[in-house]
Amino acid sequence: MERIHSLYLHVPFCTWVCKYCDFNAYAVLDGLIAPYVEALTREIDAAADTLPIGPLETVFIGGGTPSLLTTDQVRLLMDHVRAMGLASNAEVTLEANPSNVTGERVDGWLAAGVNRLSIGVQSLRPDALRFLERLHSGSDAIEAVRMARAGGFANVNADLLYGVPGVNLEGWLETLETVLAQGVQHLSAYELTVESQTRLGQEVRTGLVQMPEADDQLEQYWAAVARLEAAGYGHYEISNWSRPGFVCRHNVAAWHYQPYLGCGAGAHSMFRSNDGRTERRWNVKGPHAYIKQAAGSGHAVAGSETLSPERANGEAAMIGVRLLDGTTAARDFPAQRSQLVDAGLLAEADGGVRLTRRGIELANQVGAAFLV
Amino acid sequence: MSTPTRLTRAISVIAHVDHGKTTLSDRLLEFTGTVAPRDMVEQVLDQLDLERERGITIKAQAVRMLYKADDGNTYQINLIDTPGHVDFSYEVSRALAACDGAILVVDASQGIEAQTLANVHQALDHHLKIIPVVNKIDLPQANPELVREEIEKVIGLPAESVIFASARQGIGTKEILEAVVREVPPPTGDSNAPLQALIFDAKFDAYRGVVTYIRVLEGTLRPGMRIQMMQTGKAFEVDEVGIFRPERTPVEDLSAGEVGYLIANIRNVRDSRVGDTVTDEARPASAPLPGYRHVTPMVFAGLFPTDTEQYQQLKEALEKLQLNDAALVYEPETSAALGFGFRCGFLGLLHMEIVQERLEREFNLTLLGTAPTVEYRVKLRNGQEVPVDNPDKLPDPAEIEAISEPMVIATIVVPSTYVGNMMELSQERRGQFLNMEYEPGDRVVITYRMPLAEIIHDYYDQLKSRSKGYASLDYELVGFEEANLVKLDVLVAGSPIDALSMIVDRSKAQQQGRRLAEKLKTLIPRQLFEVPIQAAIGGKIVARETVPAMRKDVTAKCYGGDVTRKRKLLEKQKEGKKRLKRVGNVEIPQEAFMAVLSLD
Repeated sequence: MERIHSLYLHVPFCTWVCKYCDFNAYAVLDGLIAPYVEALTREIDAAADTLPIGPLETVFIGGGTPSLLTTDQVRLLMDHVRAMGLASNAEVTLEANPSNVTGERVDGWLAAGVNRLSIGVQSLRPDALRFLERLHSGSDAIEAVRMARAGGFANVNADLLYGVPGVNLEGWLETLETVLAQGVQHLSAYELTVESQTRLGQEVRTGLVQMPEADDQLEQYWAAVARLEAAGYGHYEISNWSRPGFVCRHNVAAWHYQPYLGCGAGAHSMFRSNDGRTERRWNVKGPHAYIKQAAGSGHAVAGSETLSPERANGEAAMIGVRLLDGTTAARDFPAQRSQLVDAGLLAEADGGVRLTRRGIELANQVGAAFLV
Repeated sequence: MSTPTRLTRAISVIAHVDHGKTTLSDRLLEFTGTVAPRDMVEQVLDQLDLERERGITIKAQAVRMLYKADDGNTYQINLIDTPGHVDFSYEVSRALAACDGAILVVDASQGIEAQTLANVHQALDHHLKIIPVVNKIDLPQANPELVREEIEKVIGLPAESVIFASARQGIGTKEILEAVVREVPPPTGDSNAPLQALIFDAKFDAYRGVVTYIRVLEGTLRPGMRIQMMQTGKAFEVDEVGIFRPERTPVEDLSAGEVGYLIANIRNVRDSRVGDTVTDEARPASAPLPGYRHVTPMVFAGLFPTDTEQYQQLKEALEKLQLNDAALVYEPETSAALGFGFRCGFLGLLHMEIVQERLEREFNLTLLGTAPTVEYRVKLRNGQEVPVDNPDKLPDPAEIEAISEPMVIATIVVPSTYVGNMMELSQERRGQFLNMEYEPGDRVVITYRMPLAEIIHDYYDQLKSRSKGYASLDYELVGFEEANLVKLDVLVAGSPIDALSMIVDRSKAQQQGRRLAEKLKTLIPRQLFEVPIQAAIGGKIVARETVPAMRKDVTAKCYGGDVTRKRKLLEKQKEGKKRLKRVGNVEIPQEAFMAVLSLD
């Protein structure tokens, strides 16, 4: 099996599960956090014993809301991670909700070895935050970014949402501008996506909420693209921008189709065997079930699939093409490539292909073309 | 165990679709102990999965029951279940020809419907003794008294003879069986006469070849005999004869009056045609039984594999299906838009749907069917007459002297409130009013002479929707008639799509063209680029619509853990696209090809 250099840890707890979220997250089950962290360390240890893993180049603690963990719990997790082998310059990210960011926590996270903080700002507008069911205010979010920076984080990301009902182009750009003024190194801007299994999905289905037109969403997107470029941020993935040298290495590795290990409830892993076959595994989703299984055996795998090299290549092209510098992962699909180039969705680039402007707007059409 | 002829009966159950024919048949089987209740699969006689699912009978079935009547005798009752849908009315007619009596089932809340009448007329043509049954009397909306009165007034059967029943609850089953043995005459044939057996169905069995369903009317049929089919002239040696109880059970012989099957190493159902007469090659009957009709398809449509690589599989599937369905005809067809496929002929729209569904399900094909059309007869200026079953193959207008189209007499039965709607609809569809009769129970029987092409274009659905579901329809072909028709062409992204061409009445052509273009606009999904849709008559564009280009299709978030999900999502999207046929650069869904069917 190919060596694994990326690790994802999932923390599935939130104070409140926002209505648009369809991640594997559960409204806080306070009593569960401690046994969950304990189970997570068991899974990490077991993986370290059985898989060709490390030195880890990237670690990503995501959720849910990992900032709900105490700094001791984060330190405990990091101690076990370190035992797997952690590269000296590894990127270690923790996702944080603005409500949980305090000077004390910032210190604790840094001390535990976290060196990149990803803050869920989402919006600064009160109406939008209310709509999104965020429990923090805009100024809480800005203060969180400021504290992270001031406290010593040299690599801070802000997550933003555009295309939120009730927020026009001007309102969106105002949020973006204010966040940029904080000097973040990285910025993710996501279109608010309606997932059918969420409460938002329900509200849209019943007509309670009307989402903006595609044209308006795209207008906000392209406005952000222009603004961020002017501000010196490199647009390196459909929804991601960074200052030079600050791309999210963890995600870039995944887009380059590198193997990774995922631990925690519902976490996915991807391994590659030496003969080119790709295996995906996923853990049981519910935290109770996860704790029960992982605390016992250190394993909580619920299912897996093995992809033939052809399908794996298609998958690699599907996600690789999201990187805006282009990808060579589509080399095995000359017919699809030339069709997409003819349709104006792809352009040839350095022996590979990259999305055109129209290609970004229709990226799923491009990705689907490689799934044969 | 043989039954004397005087204790033998052959009956059929006839009814409008959904009036409970098959359920009643099941009750008779149960009551006579032919099928033990514990073996009773709901609707034993409907054997195809599709029949059970749709609750309809496609193929006729036969079964022999033994019934100990109140008079102390044990009777052999041969029951033939018949298809209820108008598409299969010829099969009904042949099944009835194999009977001496018929149980007429009328729904206690629906009353007499168009097919009830059609079936009764057929039964009377065959001189059958009719036993009227009012079924579903247990339903809250049932009005059995009214329906009984209706039966007397409309059909002319005495009200006292009507039996009230609920097949679902088993009410009236015994009364029906008693009436059968009392009222239906025994067969009159002579077991020693030259053999005459009527074929009323045939089925292909992968191991035994064709199983031919017959009723022996004269003479006796035994294994080892050389038999001859009197219409086709083909001869076979009989391997096995038997009866249905309800599974096939071999017997030593079948003699005059008995219903059963024969197996004679026949490889194709075409050699065992419904309506043909089986006779003894050595001692043939002097004449075949009357009423044989060559079954001709009424509607035609192209069937194309969406994946061109499935052409060969489709060909083999059609061959196999045809073994069991003598009414299905097909020949290879090439469409500029759709590639290689087959032009198929069907008995009607239901038959068409069933064939397509069976091809897809049983042979795992993904097909695209073009809109059904009728067969036109085109008289050319050079005196020739050519049949045209594909609008795209209509000769150049300059060469055409005249076009004739098939006409039907349509019988509509409807509550009087909806008479206006029915007449309006039929008028719109180029119908010529023939007759209207008011019947008891507030029912009106209206007859129209109209083009078959109008009937297959969603006339039935309209009839139903404009009568709140109360109208019922039956029709029969009555010949061809000249009409003023033109070809309407459709261009998608500038290219003519042959499979979307249709033949329409000249006075309505422009309006139809506009509606078709509007409809296609809603049915053709957005593509990567703008797609113009045009309708043209003789090269002149009469309508234009545009499908705007797809605006946005992008997932905002996609990280390691989401990849499987995202891939599955895109794969699902792609799976949906299989139903689309790529024509040039444009992907066109099946529904678009059917759009011409409902332009109102």
